[in-house]
Amino acid sequence: MAFIAFLIIFPLVAAAALALVRAESARRIIVLGAGAIIGIASIAFIVTALPAYGGKIVLIAFDSEIIDHIGTGITILIAVVVLYFAWRYKNFWAGIIATIQVVLALVVETLFAHQLDVPYGLYFDGLSLLMTFIIGVIGSAICIYALGYMEDFQKHEPEGARDRRPFFFALMFVFLSAMYVIVFSNNLIWLFTGWEVTTVCSFLLIGYTRTEEAIRNAFRQIIMNMAGGIGFAIAIYCCTAWLHTVSLYEFIAYGSMAAPGAALVAVFLGFAGITKAAQMPFQTWLLGAMVAPTPTSALLHSSTMVKAGVFLLVKLAPVFAVCEVPSIMVMLVGGITFMMCSFLAISQSNGKRVLAYSTIANLGLITACAGVGTPEAVWAACFLILFHALAKSLLFMCVGTAEHHIGSRDIEDMDLLFDRMPRLARFMMLGIMGMFIAPFGMLIAKWATLVSFVDTGEVALIIILAFGSAATFMFWAKWLGKLAGIAGSPENVELDVHKTEWGALLLTAVLTVAACVLLPLLSYVIVEPYVVSVYGVLGQDIASDNLWIASICVIFVVVVLFGGIGSKKTRRVSVYLAGVGDNHDERTFRNSLSGITTATARNWYMEDFFGEARVAPIGVWASVLVMVVAVILAFVGVGFGVPVLM
Amino acid sequence: MTLLYTLIGCIVFAIVAPLVGCLIAGVDRIISARMQGRVGPPLLQPYYDVRKLLAKENVSVNSVENTYIVCALVFTIVAGGIFFSGGNLLMCVFVITLASMFFIIAAYSARSPYAEVGANRETLQVMSYEPMVLFMAVGFYLGAQTFDINGLFTLDVPIIANTWLIFIGLLFVLTIKLRKSPFDLSMSHHAHQEIVRGVTTEMSGPTLARVEIMHWCENVLFLGWVGMFFVWGNPLSILLALAVIAVVYFLEIWIDNNFARMKWQFMLKSAWIVALVAGGVNIAFLVFL
Amino acid sequence: MAFASKSPWVIHYDGSSCNGCDIEVLATLCPGFDGERFGVINTGNPKHADIFLVTGSINEQNIEVVRQIYDQMVEPKVVVACGICACTGGIFHDCYNVLGGVDKAIPVDVYAPGCAVRPEALIDAIVKGIAVLDEKSAALEKKKKEGVA
Repeated sequence: MAFIAFLIIFPLVAAAALALVRAESARRIIVLGAGAIIGIASIAFIVTALPAYGGKIVLIAFDSEIIDHIGTGITILIAVVVLYFAWRYKNFWAGIIATIQVVLALVVETLFAHQLDVPYGLYFDGLSLLMTFIIGVIGSAICIYALGYMEDFQKHEPEGARDRRPFFFALMFVFLSAMYVIVFSNNLIWLFTGWEVTTVCSFLLIGYTRTEEAIRNAFRQIIMNMAGGIGFAIAIYCCTAWLHTVSLYEFIAYGSMAAPGAALVAVFLGFAGITKAAQMPFQTWLLGAMVAPTPTSALLHSSTMVKAGVFLLVKLAPVFAVCEVPSIMVMLVGGITFMMCSFLAISQSNGKRVLAYSTIANLGLITACAGVGTPEAVWAACFLILFHALAKSLLFMCVGTAEHHIGSRDIEDMDLLFDRMPRLARFMMLGIMGMFIAPFGMLIAKWATLVSFVDTGEVALIIILAFGSAATFMFWAKWLGKLAGIAGSPENVELDVHKTEWGALLLTAVLTVAACVLLPLLSYVIVEPYVVSVYGVLGQDIASDNLWIASICVIFVVVVLFGGIGSKKTRRVSVYLAGVGDNHDERTFRNSLSGITTATARNWYMEDFFGEARVAPIGVWASVLVMVVAVILAFVGVGFGVPVLM
Repeated sequence: MTLLYTLIGCIVFAIVAPLVGCLIAGVDRIISARMQGRVGPPLLQPYYDVRKLLAKENVSVNSVENTYIVCALVFTIVAGGIFFSGGNLLMCVFVITLASMFFIIAAYSARSPYAEVGANRETLQVMSYEPMVLFMAVGFYLGAQTFDINGLFTLDVPIIANTWLIFIGLLFVLTIKLRKSPFDLSMSHHAHQEIVRGVTTEMSGPTLARVEIMHWCENVLFLGWVGMFFVWGNPLSILLALAVIAVVYFLEIWIDNNFARMKWQFMLKSAWIVALVAGGVNIAFLVFL
Repeated sequence: MAFASKSPWVIHYDGSSCNGCDIEVLATLCPGFDGERFGVINTGNPKHADIFLVTGSINEQNIEVVRQIYDQMVEPKVVVACGICACTGGIFHDCYNVLGGVDKAIPVDVYAPGCAVRPEALIDAIVKGIAVLDEKSAALEKKKKEGVA
């Protein structure tokens, strides 16, 4: 309890301090100190909580009128902030949606919520602990990384631009606090408050640069996520109306017994999760979020924000396991998103956009797993969340650092990065491998996903997974290849990378490898007990022998990547240029007119097959159709009392 | 225990597969020659080639290419070891993909225009056949109720009885996996292709020898995949599987000699359509009926 | 046993030939003569080849190309000059741009004259080249051993 309170309140204190401090050195100390403290506290909490948890959900008796009122106050404050920006930038829709939401929230708060007591306001279980690790360790690492990054960022800003870094760092820490609220709240209304705080924080972070593009994308984000928030509010309303509870734990308990009305609540909560996890048709907000400084993207994509969406969905998995309508909705939207966004990633050459599509695709997979809702699927989803958070944060930080040193985030410009930024390129290669290839954890989780799809007989999902994975190989392998190129010895440009950046990169890289190697152990200590606590059974999982084989392979690959490469001395020769090579390292050759031509090679983007204009609408409309049908069916089910649909 | 079996499997595979693969390659070349009205090389010609390559001077375009190739070879052997020791089929599929990835990176690292085009095409080939390979594993699971290869020996009927459509799909992508015409886009054993030797353009001497050995091992593994469809509880079924493998390989040689290379568009479209139809329909049948 | 002689892979380069010799070189690899009986494969890639078959004379334009291809071949390697033009410059020897035979650019191990060079002569030349290849291979082996010691 004390730990939970500390984890929620301490980041807020740090944020307040950061908002007030303007000096670079003071900020440095606060961020480093606060990051370290949050990280250590998170781990300490996990270590101390594990014995108490022992495979059971731990509900904490805590109920406070004051916190209810604070929550209401925050909700209103958020609406006011959004309304202010909507008025200032003349954005009609954002204003409307903020108004609707504040009205809905107030209705829920005043009419229903206070009649229903939630004696156990807080809780934690295996999934919360996993999220604590992700938020506390990866989130803090990103905050520390941001120190160096934002210093460079400020240098790249036009002369005389206002230094708004105090604001930036304060928001980052508020974000962490809100995430803790989300993962520890059993009271749905508190959870909703945290939910809205993350929405508005990312709104402010995306709009940080205040350029026209940033503001446009920020508004897109807020409109979509507040629509999701409205879904959440409706879900709370339905929950109180039919099930007479605002406790997440109780709702899941009712839901997994298929209580009447649970399907409708699950559909709306699913909708909220889908918007937050940027599933199609809402994928555009996450793509737009790329305009923000890279630490923001790293935070949004890996440890916070979108993870809140899938966290909620995975929590609801037992409900989806018995309620057909929300299950099929979540499953199909996730599946469609996974496949379509994997295809779309092939057509992108902007590194951050590739990462964005890959994030959305992987979240789609987690969403689909949650929708399937079997023990195996939840096991897979937990590991997908963990490995995605690790590898993706590593990749975002790498791309951010590379961008500041080579002046581009385009994958084509990362040619020869292996020579120009040798250490960074290795980290990046590790991150990429961690995302898509066996024996790294991500693929092991995908494997479990496949097994769960086969066991439940979801033919559509099997097909989706097979084609999506093939596309995943394509877009990662070609990026990896671009990084791997070696020619001559160009100037090393990574010498002036900040120490804080290296520290954060090294930490996430080590964690990625450690998590992959220790996967069987993690599964045994945290994830399996969680699955058992939810379902009572473990289901058939991947034999641990196979996991250990994978661990050994991981060690081998990492040793090769960081130790074995480049040690052997053999005579160097030039590449073949049909006998007319001029400078082989530069790939120039003498052409038929005795002039000099440079041979260039670009990766394949296959616009005709996988271009955005062609693929995106299919995914968007398919997802919209699925959701509309699901909502209608859920209402029909409740309205007419059709048992199958309830 | 599985770990130990896998280790033994890897060691045995590392010794036996090159021998078998080398002989298969020799037979392949003789049969191809006969189909073209030639006498062809001696049976052990592939072995002579590799010994020669190993004896050549060790040069490379950069310091890492060879390391990547060694990784590719090692993981091919691990994949083979997992498969032939009766291990998990999905694990085998994933590890062989890892080997392909290292092979691709080796080509990219050379930064030669020809190798890079080859690497791009190789990536595309992986993307083309990967869905069908996953469907194969799923079909196997639905047929044998396990992903473990040694589960085959407890069956009453071979899995081909339920998965013949998937088997046909596998035969289609096998042409890509065995690097046979019409789908030998990334590198061709036939002389003079438009991108020199594609992926292997910059690999020479001992490095190239390792690539050859890797292909022998790969071929043995892929033919093992073909054979597993025909194995069941009866030990004699292994003979049947070997006979089927022989027929299938002859078919592949025949295709190799009779078709001109296709464009990548055709490869991608046809491989995915075949995967969708053969894999999707068969799996749907297995699940719903 | 030296394996170099059992698997001579060739690369064929057309300097400034009239294409007569080129047709014969390729004919040598066709079913009628079936060079693969002796393990001959036309690789088209200097990095894989052991024997360099050059047709046509060397001129100002191609001398660098021939040198570069030769340099990119991996030891041990053998050069065969195919046809009289490749041997000496042939009837083109006094053209304004022609420098002479292949030996003006790189060391030649076997000369196979003829206009055009016949496949039988080529096969003979390749077999002679194989003998040279064996010698060089043995020398390289020795050097490797000494290098280790």
